[in-house]
Amino acid sequence: MQTRLNLWRHYRAILSNTGMIMVMVGVLMLTPLFVLLAWHDEWVYAKDFLIPAFVLIGVGGALWRLLKSNIPISITIQDGGVVVLLSWAIASVFAGFPFMSVLGLNFTQATFESVSGWTTTGLSVVDVAKAPNMVLLWRSITQLIGGAGLAIITLAAITGPTGAGLTIAEGRTEQLAPQVRRSIKRVVILYAGYAVLGIILFKVAGMNMFDAINHSFAAISTGGFSTKPENLAFWDSTAIDLVSVPLMILGNMNFLTVYFLVRGRFKAVYRNDEVKLMAVVIPVCIILVYYLVSNIIYPTFGKSVRVAIVEVVTALTTTGFMSTVYTEWNAIGYLILTVLMIIGGGTCSTAGGIKQYRVFLLFKSFIWEVKRAFLPKNAIVENYHWRGEHKEYISGELLRQLISFVSLYMFIYVLGTAIIAAHGYKLNEAMFEFASALSTVGISCGVSVASAPPLVLWTETLGMFLGRLEFFVIFISLGKVIRDLISLTTGKPKF
Amino acid sequence: MNILIAGEGKTVYFLCRTFISKGHKVTVINRSQDESVWSARQLKIVAIQGDWSDPLVLEEAETNSMDAVLAVTPNDHDNLAICQIASLNFKVPQTLALVNDPDNEEVFRKLGIIAVSTARILSNLMERRVGFCEITNLITASEGKLNITEIELTETSPVAQKQIRDIKFPQNSLLAYILHQGQPTIPKGDTVLYPGDRVFVITMPDNYAETIRMLTGEKR
Amino acid sequence: MSSKNLFILIVGCGRLGSLLANRLSGKGHSVVVIDNRDSAFSTLSAEFSGFRMVGDATEFTVLKEAKIEEADVFIATTRDDNVNIMVSQVAKKIFHVPKVMARVFEPKRENIYKDFDIEAISPTTIAVELFLESIAEFLTVNKRGS
Repeated sequence: MQTRLNLWRHYRAILSNTGMIMVMVGVLMLTPLFVLLAWHDEWVYAKDFLIPAFVLIGVGGALWRLLKSNIPISITIQDGGVVVLLSWAIASVFAGFPFMSVLGLNFTQATFESVSGWTTTGLSVVDVAKAPNMVLLWRSITQLIGGAGLAIITLAAITGPTGAGLTIAEGRTEQLAPQVRRSIKRVVILYAGYAVLGIILFKVAGMNMFDAINHSFAAISTGGFSTKPENLAFWDSTAIDLVSVPLMILGNMNFLTVYFLVRGRFKAVYRNDEVKLMAVVIPVCIILVYYLVSNIIYPTFGKSVRVAIVEVVTALTTTGFMSTVYTEWNAIGYLILTVLMIIGGGTCSTAGGIKQYRVFLLFKSFIWEVKRAFLPKNAIVENYHWRGEHKEYISGELLRQLISFVSLYMFIYVLGTAIIAAHGYKLNEAMFEFASALSTVGISCGVSVASAPPLVLWTETLGMFLGRLEFFVIFISLGKVIRDLISLTTGKPKF
Repeated sequence: MNILIAGEGKTVYFLCRTFISKGHKVTVINRSQDESVWSARQLKIVAIQGDWSDPLVLEEAETNSMDAVLAVTPNDHDNLAICQIASLNFKVPQTLALVNDPDNEEVFRKLGIIAVSTARILSNLMERRVGFCEITNLITASEGKLNITEIELTETSPVAQKQIRDIKFPQNSLLAYILHQGQPTIPKGDTVLYPGDRVFVITMPDNYAETIRMLTGEKR
Repeated sequence: MSSKNLFILIVGCGRLGSLLANRLSGKGHSVVVIDNRDSAFSTLSAEFSGFRMVGDATEFTVLKEAKIEEADVFIATTRDDNVNIMVSQVAKKIFHVPKVMARVFEPKRENIYKDFDIEAISPTTIAVELFLESIAEFLTVNKRGS
């Protein structure tokens, strides 16, 4: 009975926090109604947002208040993981409701779109040309919030448990301040700053206000949803293409690195693994893509260069803006973009993929191995890299964790690609599209459409979910819940 | 003098020997039983085995009758504690702490204890051996506002064979005294400087380099 | 969130240090903990959301790196009385931290602090007082009984 009481205490906290996040999501679902200020005729769609919002606020609120404990408690990372899993799953389902009721999508398609939003992927099965502005704004908002993190936004806006368990579970491990709430507030302020900067830049580059807002949200969250079916290619504008590049890079950078940049602590910035990786990979790939791909396909020099730049950046930062369609692209072009997508963006940012710091370290460890061979046998070597302003020494354990993550990633990647290919798609298309889903990128070569087979869409949906939450949160939390259920029913704790 | 030394290892052993040869009475507090036994056999000292910063141990070692306490243990914080207890509780007139971290020389001074850093002394000596114009930076006093430096003049020194009155010393620097062929001299206007003389100059930080340059002809 | 949020620097992440760090961080204060062993930080709980620094606090540069000049409160909780004595003096006299506290095991060392405006807390002394109180109570109860 003691274990039961203990378990209950944990789950009470879990459900209470989940409820709190549900309330926040519910309130968010009301924000697209702002559209009514400019487009009064869209009031017909209001109910499609109001209904799910009230359900979320009602149920979530009940869970939160009824189960809240009087003493402030802190939540462990394991429990935090379950909260993250539950809240993201619930948010994914509810956020899809407007897509079903307004646009007539089925559950598969609506959940796909919803998950694509929260995970800041950007693959879309929605006919953007026909969608009302309320729906378009909603998609961009899900990306904005999902990029920062549901838990983070809730903690910043309302309140929450003490301790960093919840934030770490959702992927925010970098500390911008020696106190979790102060740290989160700084992240949110930076993020809001990006959003405002983005809106101004896109507006100046030539978009109207509504498009500027939507694209700014999509850029800084490295999401990639657009208000136009052709994405950025709709405008075919040098200004817009080029303005999107720094925004995408900003969104994909680790918040701590940007914080240092803003505070003038430049040493921490240029020593940073990910900054170094971007400084090499981006220019090299732009040149490669230019010579091997865009030069051949596009008529003008300007267009070729623009496409090369935007496509390389969108793939690496996992944003998902598209300045072109890929139907004419050759195999090497597909390969370069696919590899960039798999490498992914920066850690502790809104981006996806394996993440630049892991790739950098793996590469570095190879060099260290070679160097080691030239030193005396008994020499003690302490390899390190810069983590913020401090040196972090590389331990065997760190490398092991890295390798197991990368292996798992590749395994799931191959599995997902196989499932898609099994439906008859060409290999390069399957590889490209699943990399886009797993790394939450969002560029599409045409596989992800409303008419795609349900299993393909579900595979991609699961890929996006796994990719955003970096696998372990999901596996470990699921494992924990299952284990707890077993111990409850059999009456004895299973270890 | 009655001297109390707290520490361990060969350093302490040879410190004891040196003081004994100068006629002082030495007491040692060492935490190592073996070392205490050995030094008790080899030297005419009072050897105490115990926790060197424990006030009780210090009391039993008759610290209150000591003229000087030297704390040369491996830990800066222990040395601070020993000297503070000695000077505040036992009213010992002279205490000296050895520190590892050169920054702590200044830190300890602010806390009321004189400290000496081996790292700094050795690195200064190193500079001397590297033939840096035979300069020894002896003392940095008064919160670093004063430097006393010993320099050996060479053949190529710009002031060799010159009279003091003909040498233009930088503002606020002073030639304190000269060791000419081992004989100390307080310089007067007509004193001549020769190669091989060891001169002791007092300088401030802002004219240190200039003074050195003037005496040696080399940029430091 | 507490109304005023302090910057607290704790030296030593043993039982006392980590418990203090957990509670203070949980109350919303900004906490930085210094210990010279990396393994010491494993005792910090989920409540703790502050910074961890590996380093020897008797080194001047380590304290500076921890931004001691900005600290409101400084607590020395290592197992070594002398380390606690030294670092708290440095905190008070050199960096002028407003509130400096130290744990001192050996009651005889406590008097050094009196002149330095450092709050010394000796668990030994406190325990002795509590034990004595308890025994005194026991005596009075028994006296009445007989």
